[in-house]
Amino acid sequence: MEKKSNPMSRQVMSLPRLIEEQYEDLEPKTRTVLSFQEIFNIQRIVLTGCGDSYAATMATKHAFEMLTGIPTEVVTALELGRYYCKRHMGVDCRNPLVIAVSNSGTGARVAEAVQRARKYGCFVLGVTGNEESPLGKNSDKILKLNIPPFEGAPGTRSYMVSVMSLLLLAIRFGEVRMNYTMDTAMQYREEMKRQGEELKKLLPEMDEVCFKVAEKWKDFPCYDFVGGGFDYATAWFGQAKILEATGKFVMHINTEEWFHLNFFARDAKHMGTVVVANTTNPAHSRSKELVKYANVLHRPLVVITDGGALDFDSEEAVYIKVPKPEAQILMPLTHFAPVCLIAAYISELIGEKYGRGCEGDWSFAQGGAGVINSEIILD
Amino acid sequence: MLKNFKIETRYNDVYDITEQVLKTVEESKVKEGTCIVYNTHSTAGMTVFSPWDPDGFLDLDDEIRRLVPTRVDFKHQHDTPQDAAGHIKCAMFGVSLSFIVTGGKLLLGGSQHIYFLEFDGPRNREFYVKVQSD
Repeated sequence: MEKKSNPMSRQVMSLPRLIEEQYEDLEPKTRTVLSFQEIFNIQRIVLTGCGDSYAATMATKHAFEMLTGIPTEVVTALELGRYYCKRHMGVDCRNPLVIAVSNSGTGARVAEAVQRARKYGCFVLGVTGNEESPLGKNSDKILKLNIPPFEGAPGTRSYMVSVMSLLLLAIRFGEVRMNYTMDTAMQYREEMKRQGEELKKLLPEMDEVCFKVAEKWKDFPCYDFVGGGFDYATAWFGQAKILEATGKFVMHINTEEWFHLNFFARDAKHMGTVVVANTTNPAHSRSKELVKYANVLHRPLVVITDGGALDFDSEEAVYIKVPKPEAQILMPLTHFAPVCLIAAYISELIGEKYGRGCEGDWSFAQGGAGVINSEIILD
Repeated sequence: MLKNFKIETRYNDVYDITEQVLKTVEESKVKEGTCIVYNTHSTAGMTVFSPWDPDGFLDLDDEIRRLVPTRVDFKHQHDTPQDAAGHIKCAMFGVSLSFIVTGGKLLLGGSQHIYFLEFDGPRNREFYVKVQSD
């Protein structure tokens, strides 16, 4: 079958240029959005968001901790808005710092979460493209995103920008708190900028491989995305894109839990399994074991990695090569590209509309109404 | 004659560059003239100080920090508090020193050595020595 580009695959192809453009926009903004005093005041960080933004917070949590040494939690918007312990908010002079991510800023749950966080004394930094949105209006400070418009498709460009903005904030916090020198901070930033070029080199082959995988996998009833640490964030994001683009059943799980749960699934031969497994991931040894046993189960297998087959004892799998930055923290910036391409081509090949076109039974979700129109309760 | 020297500095450290300056003057063959020692940075300074008691450098560091503590309320917030303080220290000390060359030698007192002061770091730094005849 002939490969057809589509809005989602074109979003992926636009990423190298977007990385360069967004770096120029976000680098100066992340220098000034918080003052020295505000950065030195941080004792704990809570990252929150919904959907793709939630994935972006998972992808960068470790970067915040590695670069700043500040304890950092990922808390879902629902959890922060309805369950998070009040006694843990507003302590030690407006801690924790809550960084809430939503490009549109209109989701009710994030709005609820930041209102509650401020009510109980947290300092809120909103990362959003819409200053007048509920998120924007309920933030102490705003990191304003400015993502150029593009053809509509399950969020790919906006996810990269969310990840980049959070990474730049983490680098900035570590720099100001003098965890490393300004020169080291600039090396991280320059390398981030270079990731666009690295992705651009790999995209042609990646695109071909992902299309071939989609051809083989398009009729599978279910998919399974696995990863550990920040690779789990990429796996989580991958399952989200399959759901949005194809409407098919899909699971996500971390590398250890797979051995406790997902491997039990029957009909393994028809379960497309994507393992996100970078060679520098502290759980790499477990990823290797997983790839081995996935093969024992005859799972159709894709491994997304900065290495290659040799790093997995030459186990049989389709290996998709992604950029290998020197700084481990930068991996989530580009490593989601293949999962978007696989989802994009399966959707194209089976003739499925993104988000079911918000038609028929799905019409209640038109224009994001399903997440915008929700009762906000502040206790 | 103009010579360039490189230094890989450590955080907030002091580097004795007297030997490099003396040698440059000697190599220049200038008998009577002037020598300028200059750095191209905005968070590093130059000074003349006594080398005889190493504790003197600790006193100097203490007094510099007392005059310009690294604070978080600097208005210059583009880089880091250490960098902002470094700019002030650099402005106070200056980035150049002038010396007299006479009889083919640098006119330097017995308790005078020439120092490169790093107010930030670690950084890759450089300084220049210019020797010119009258």
